Amino acid sequence: MLKNIFIVLISVFLVHISSNISYTIEPDEILNDQKQELRARNISKKIRCVVCQNQSIDESNAPLAKDLRILIKNKIKEGSSDKEIYKFLTDRYGDFILLKPPFKLSTLMLWFMPFVFFIIGILFLFYHNKKSKKFN
Amino acid sequence: MNKQLIIIPIVIFSLILLTFFYLLSIERNPSNIPSNLLEKKVPNFESESLLKNYIFDSSKEFNDEITLVNFFATWCKPCKEEHVYIKRFAKEEKIRVIGINYKDSTKKTIKWLGDLGNPYSNVLLDKNGRIAIDWGVYGIPETFIVSSEGIIKYRHAGPITKKIYKKINKIIMEID
Amino acid sequence: MAPFLGNFSLWLSLFFGTYQFFISKKNSKLKFINIAAKGLLISSLISFFSLLHCHIVSDFSVLNVFQNSHTTKPLLYKISGVWGNHEGSMLLWILVLTIFNYFIFKLYNEKNSSFISKALETQAFITVGFILFTILTSNPFERLFPIQDNGLGFNPILQDPALAIHPPLLYIGYVGFSAVFSISIATLYNSEKIPWHSYMKPFVLTAWTFLTIGIALGSVWAYYELGWGGWWFWDPVENASFMPWLLGTALLHSLIIVEKRKSLQAWVLLLSILTFLLSVIGTFLVRSGILTSVHTFALDPSRGIYILAFTALLGGYSLILFGSKSKKYFDNSYFSFFSKEGSILINNILMVVVCATVLLGTIYPLIIEAFTNNKISVGEPYYNSTVIPIILPAILIMGIGPILGWGKEDKFKTFQKIIPSIFLTIIMTIIIFFVYQTYTFIGIAGIILAFWIISNNLFLLFKKNKKYSIGMIISHLGIGLLILGITGSSVWQKEKITKMKMGENINIKTYNIIFEKINEIKGPNYLALQGNFLVLDNKKQVVVKLKPENRFYPITNNFTTEASIHTNLFRDLYIVLGDGNPNEGWIVRIYYNPLVIWIWIGAVIIFLGGIIALRVNLKKLKISS
Repeated sequence: MLKNIFIVLISVFLVHISSNISYTIEPDEILNDQKQELRARNISKKIRCVVCQNQSIDESNAPLAKDLRILIKNKIKEGSSDKEIYKFLTDRYGDFILLKPPFKLSTLMLWFMPFVFFIIGILFLFYHNKKSKKFN
Repeated sequence: MNKQLIIIPIVIFSLILLTFFYLLSIERNPSNIPSNLLEKKVPNFESESLLKNYIFDSSKEFNDEITLVNFFATWCKPCKEEHVYIKRFAKEEKIRVIGINYKDSTKKTIKWLGDLGNPYSNVLLDKNGRIAIDWGVYGIPETFIVSSEGIIKYRHAGPITKKIYKKINKIIMEID
Repeated sequence: MAPFLGNFSLWLSLFFGTYQFFISKKNSKLKFINIAAKGLLISSLISFFSLLHCHIVSDFSVLNVFQNSHTTKPLLYKISGVWGNHEGSMLLWILVLTIFNYFIFKLYNEKNSSFISKALETQAFITVGFILFTILTSNPFERLFPIQDNGLGFNPILQDPALAIHPPLLYIGYVGFSAVFSISIATLYNSEKIPWHSYMKPFVLTAWTFLTIGIALGSVWAYYELGWGGWWFWDPVENASFMPWLLGTALLHSLIIVEKRKSLQAWVLLLSILTFLLSVIGTFLVRSGILTSVHTFALDPSRGIYILAFTALLGGYSLILFGSKSKKYFDNSYFSFFSKEGSILINNILMVVVCATVLLGTIYPLIIEAFTNNKISVGEPYYNSTVIPIILPAILIMGIGPILGWGKEDKFKTFQKIIPSIFLTIIMTIIIFFVYQTYTFIGIAGIILAFWIISNNLFLLFKKNKKYSIGMIISHLGIGLLILGITGSSVWQKEKITKMKMGENINIKTYNIIFEKINEIKGPNYLALQGNFLVLDNKKQVVVKLKPENRFYPITNNFTTEASIHTNLFRDLYIVLGDGNPNEGWIVRIYYNPLVIWIWIGAVIIFLGGIIALRVNLKKLKISS
């Protein structure tokens, strides 16, 4: 009996102090439709938790992350497309909220350059190989 | 040929370092997110208010005068500390000040405003945080300045300090 | 006493560093350089151990101890607390710099005196730069009066054994490349016949090997501590350690070509410079306050400006030096793809491309912020799309590269050599997919590549051919195991999130998990709620009792979740306890993570391979000198 009281007290103590900390994806959040749930998780994994250090809202404990997760699920239930959901979020929080940088003029270099590096590398290898054939 | 090649990495290296130097020398907070709502019309929303039987409709409310919108909560310590500045805005600057109460208890809010003073001509209740999301709010407190045409002109994330108070005053004068 | 001694020694090390810089410039007598190198080492040792002493006895008159420690911290974490903060970790940086400085000094002999002197001059310059930084902006021996009764405690998430040892090992890596840098500067100035690459090799091996295990331990900590089974987040500070590792890997391989074929010398010198520069830039990113990350220390732009200026100085000087003096190291030999040199060259190109991509992703948000009013994020999805496609061919080539000969190789003969490993790969792949039964492109690619590497190297190991370096075989084997672990845990993870009341049970894969009860636990500096879970297999036998905890540390007012994990060779079972109460039940998250342990086993084996290679290398060095 005393043990139960202690457990209740400790859990109330912890929950009260952590009332601003909820734990990641709670069971009542999970959608019944498996396909929709998967969609929601996939989108959430690409949305940054803006009050955390480098986490997605899928992983985060923060209250704002939970709010956004639920918002995304509601929008999926209402029939919004992935694109519309991303636009909804970036309209309010800017591109910062996307973990996958958008394809824009300002991010052209970001997406383009790795490919360019790779091509330069390959070209260099072919140049080197050609020269070796000439010499040997 | 080889001498020219080394210039490319040196130039890139210098540009990167200059960029870093610039970022270090300006005043910036690395965890601050710029507001995406600047120069845009206020978000469309409807909300309950502390005023009895009042439904706040954003499309109708922001068209007359300069408004300061302040997101706050009783459980937020910095909100208490900045409250004196919100009161000063209401008194000295003669602009309309609206409060949006974020994820809070109505009872506690009424008591809080009673104790500390109420600068708000209206207090909207954002029980589930949706209004905050519509404004791109990511922490409490946040303060917005809206022009008399309903365009968001400025946003400050975090508590109002003396410096920010002066800055906002300047902006209000410029909008007028 | 200790704080005064520590501070005094710190200034003393500044003196010895400056002394070493000036006398090695003049290429003086051995005995003066001896005094300088030993003095530098001893003074930095005293300084470091003084701070250690202050932390152990909880001397709160020292600001650093007050800010980061508490009397209730267990001893191990009082010790690791020394380097778990910015100022203390700078002392560690300096200590490792002086240790490597001493090893460079040990190479000194009559024949290479001016070469080694130049290297020591460079190393002294770097060391003085860091000591000055520490004294001017981050002195750990600052005092705090009146003396407080107790400290501000320490972040409980950082009280973990893996994390305790992660910085020292990591720093041997980061800082070890300083010696490589110094030797390459000396090489650029050099005009005599000096076997510079054989001096460089032990340092490259040491730095790379320890950087590998240092990074791995950071990931181990993240996996066991952070509560959702992740172990790499492409966080800017993680990237800051990954970039020197990538270039270090390229350097390790191309150094072989310099040894055996006297080719690619200029390239190796450039790589040596860039690798260390990336270490220093990494230091900058972590400590300047230019970005926030789970890893960053206290934000302070003035520190940032110092490190940036130092980086500019070091980088500008070394790159311009390279531009003007590297000409004598260029050669005109070219090699075909299908040879050992060719495969190493391909490895190098791909490592550099990945490194450039990671650098781009890491600093791009800063560039965007400087030039526009916008902020963007570059997160995991970006790196997955760009880095993985580039790394795949590198791993493929890693399978056959080692068995190719120098110079052009007969394609048919090579194909014959690899037939057994092709078979083994196919067999193992089929078995794995029979067990796990989920097919994705990445999963298939990862498993095939992993077993490709493992098979090739197992066969090399059994052949016991003296021609092949055993360290290399073992390290490559380690990489194969690493990839196996990474693929398994990413592709086949199963997760169950549910609310459970005491007495209820749930199934995951072939396991039945029963939620028995909740205990209250009192730790040395925390209170905790502990969930007791009984795990049964499909034969109703008890596999393990898992006990995840939610801890509260009163001193720092922090909460942590401690996952409870059962590991075996095939999978990890991972339980995290969430919110809840006895009436409504508790939120429980259960993960089935296949093959995770192979990530850590792989990393340790890579480390062992490196150590073996280092031993062999040091033996050779002793014999030749």
